[in-house]
Amino acid sequence: MELSHSKKYPFRLIAALLCSLILSACAVEAPKDPSTLLFSLSAEPDTLNRLTATDAYEGTVNGFIFDALIERDNRTLEYKPKLATQWEVSDDKLTYTFHLRNDVKWHDGKPFTADDVIYTFQQITNEKVDAGPLRNYYKDIKNAEKLDDYTVRFTYAIPYFKALEFVGGIPVIPKHVFDDGQDFNNHPAGRRPIGTGPFKFKEWNTNKNIVLERNEAYWDKEKFPDYRRVLFKIIPDSTIVLQVLKKGELDVANLRPIQWVRQTLGEGFNNRFARHQYYLPGYRYIGWNQQRPNAPFFKDKKVRQALSHLVNRQDIVNKLEFGLAKLTNGPFWVFGYEYNRKLPQILFDPAKAKLLLEEAGWSDRDNDGIREKDGVKFEFTFLIPAGSASANRLATILKKDLEDAGISMQIQSMEWAAFVNRLNAKDFDAVTLGWTGSIDEDPYQIWHSSQIEKGSNYTGFKNEEADRIMEEARTVFDKERRTQLYNRFHEIIYDEQPYTFLYTGASLLARDRRFKNVQVYKLGVDFLEWKVAQ
Amino acid sequence: MAAYIVKRLLAMIPTLLGITLLTFLIIKLAPGNPVSLKMQGGEGLKAGQVSQEATDQMLKLYGLKVDLPPEYEAWIGRWTERIHGSDPKDPPHFTRRALKWLGENAIQYKIWITGLAQLDFGRSFKDRRPVLTKIAEALPITLTLNLIEIFLVYFISVPLGVYSALHRESILDKVIMVLLFILYSLPDFWVATLLLMYFAGGDHLNWFPLMGFMSEGAQTYPFWMKLGNIAWHLILPVTVMVYGSFAFLSRFSRANMLEVIRQDYVRTAMAKGLPRRKVIWRHAFRNSLIPLITIMGALLPALLGGSVIIEQIFSIPGMGKLGFESVLARDYPTIMAISTISAVLTLLSLLLADLAYVWVDPRITFRARQE
Repeated sequence: MELSHSKKYPFRLIAALLCSLILSACAVEAPKDPSTLLFSLSAEPDTLNRLTATDAYEGTVNGFIFDALIERDNRTLEYKPKLATQWEVSDDKLTYTFHLRNDVKWHDGKPFTADDVIYTFQQITNEKVDAGPLRNYYKDIKNAEKLDDYTVRFTYAIPYFKALEFVGGIPVIPKHVFDDGQDFNNHPAGRRPIGTGPFKFKEWNTNKNIVLERNEAYWDKEKFPDYRRVLFKIIPDSTIVLQVLKKGELDVANLRPIQWVRQTLGEGFNNRFARHQYYLPGYRYIGWNQQRPNAPFFKDKKVRQALSHLVNRQDIVNKLEFGLAKLTNGPFWVFGYEYNRKLPQILFDPAKAKLLLEEAGWSDRDNDGIREKDGVKFEFTFLIPAGSASANRLATILKKDLEDAGISMQIQSMEWAAFVNRLNAKDFDAVTLGWTGSIDEDPYQIWHSSQIEKGSNYTGFKNEEADRIMEEARTVFDKERRTQLYNRFHEIIYDEQPYTFLYTGASLLARDRRFKNVQVYKLGVDFLEWKVAQ
Repeated sequence: MAAYIVKRLLAMIPTLLGITLLTFLIIKLAPGNPVSLKMQGGEGLKAGQVSQEATDQMLKLYGLKVDLPPEYEAWIGRWTERIHGSDPKDPPHFTRRALKWLGENAIQYKIWITGLAQLDFGRSFKDRRPVLTKIAEALPITLTLNLIEIFLVYFISVPLGVYSALHRESILDKVIMVLLFILYSLPDFWVATLLLMYFAGGDHLNWFPLMGFMSEGAQTYPFWMKLGNIAWHLILPVTVMVYGSFAFLSRFSRANMLEVIRQDYVRTAMAKGLPRRKVIWRHAFRNSLIPLITIMGALLPALLGGSVIIEQIFSIPGMGKLGFESVLARDYPTIMAISTISAVLTLLSLLLADLAYVWVDPRITFRARQE
């Protein structure tokens, strides 16, 4: 009797403890506030200082806190006034004059003036400021001057069609906050930003969450948000993000293709959440390095064309992205005006590829299964970033198809920092990566021959006509003329195949149905116009 | 004894210096650097204009590009000339570069060690916050997790091991062994995800929270509520941390116990007619613990280290994630601080283990150790 009691007792105690624990914990869980937009970030931003930040998370958070001088219309993608009521561009396209609103206040109540814009520009160009990546965009600006308290003028050294985008998008920061004698890079305002936008920064619980509160005095009444708070939760694992969403602790979640096709289909899910997809500028590619002495085959256009015929892109899209991607064959946004839609997709065609390889002189003379020419075997190493599961699977598919065509490929995967090192040193045969693009694309930095040495032309692409087009297009402000030029440029790239262009992946989003007025534009959703259903 | 401890502590200083110097050089030799990562805008490339000039400016700003004293430059010149002959058109790349690299890193190490002498670990390259602040945020979380884990693991494994030893080859002994080895072979990321899906997701049971260390706003709760909230959050992660560790430790204590139980003095004690319980717990068990002390030596640094996988899946911002992310981002000051602190702890726990031997085992004395 006594024995059995003592044996059972601890179990009961533990069970009782556990129950009370769960109950008490459930009871104290804060009720969900319907007027809060719950967001997730897969990592914390390093800083919220707009000039020194280098990650994408900063932009997501600061997008709610700051306004730009001018912004693109969601539908037309043309610029319209924001902090600047109007702007003038001189006939020689060198000076840009902005007239600022005079009724805008920073979140701490101080007025927003031309001094803030000028100060921002001075900090970006200040060598002591840790804004290297940003500074590159502003190095062609000769001068920024304050004409009066609400007028600023930027003067470019050379005409450039993206100048308006850069000066109009300058990440303005408050001078009165930063200019207080403290070190700019370590300034505390970098962790509690003060902006002019629809939301005010409230708190940042390191590695947990960032909280924003509505700016009740927001000047732009048209864009006055309907919800009162934005909460960014930091959740590193994408599987968990979806679980948290299903549990009702998130309002918006980015989905992976597999989650889109397998885990978000049920009726229960559909009743509570809506899903949206759109395609942002950018593409994935395989780059063939033309400057490798040990891989001379990539220098030959025919070989590169043959390789593109050996990449089974549709299969890759189906297997890696579950069909949620658009095939692309050029360096522009698939929905952009620069993209030449007359060019057909390059199909998977091993027979044609073999023909091209034979024409180029690469054939298997010694019957070892690998093609050769002038004593060089067609063997190379494919460099992929280790963190990328899709690059890994792509490499496996490619290896098999190349092998069947008599090409031997080794796969080498490297951790990101080491990978970047190899890329910058041009120390690779072939590589797979993605580029993030923009609405008005300037291909100069990736494709111009001057960028082989120190720019992003990693594969060593060089074509005189392409060089000429890129140089000219930079100074062309007429969109139609630029379209013609870039359409032709696309043709050259299509013919040369310096990259094998793969696809543009879909951006996938699930969101809670309690939000109304959700529009999906070409560039995605605009959270600020969402309304909370009562 | 005091003299022994002082001597050991003093001997730690050169060891520690050696460890930090080696760590520093290894980190710097690893390919990649924080500046080129920042210029690329994180994972996934952005089409931005990367210029050498801007990169150099940033390297200077982060103290990764330092000017060598002109005397040293001249010295390098003389040495390369002596080794490779004086052909100015054919600069002997390797020697010159190696000497230059050594010189630059010696200066950077000197700056770092000067900071360390004032307990200043510098600021993180990643977010420019003081490294010590970052560690102070992550450490309590990891310490809590690890203390609970270690307590549970020892509390469960050692008795299991003793039981298995006393009932050697019995069915229960075999069942325990098989069970523990099954647990040992389950991958933790898989178990963690399953636990979350079935016990915390909205789809099945909804008993536990999905993420984090405590609920939002729990900082303001009264003490007991706060403790309950943290415990509620930690049940799943601790389960995942603990289950794989039973096998090793219980086998270890089973083997120790078996060894001790066969000794003559145990047989003598039994023969003397002492009660079985007293023989086992007083004489055999205490002696079987001695080898455990060797393992304890690794405990202190283990307290500091976190599991990257578990912290990632459960969204717990502990030391594992901090260390892992610093390595990926080549955040040199943070990596150096973490490895220095764990080096100190390792050295200290080795000393503690040695002291514990003396305390537990009367055959070992300080005099013998010193000789």
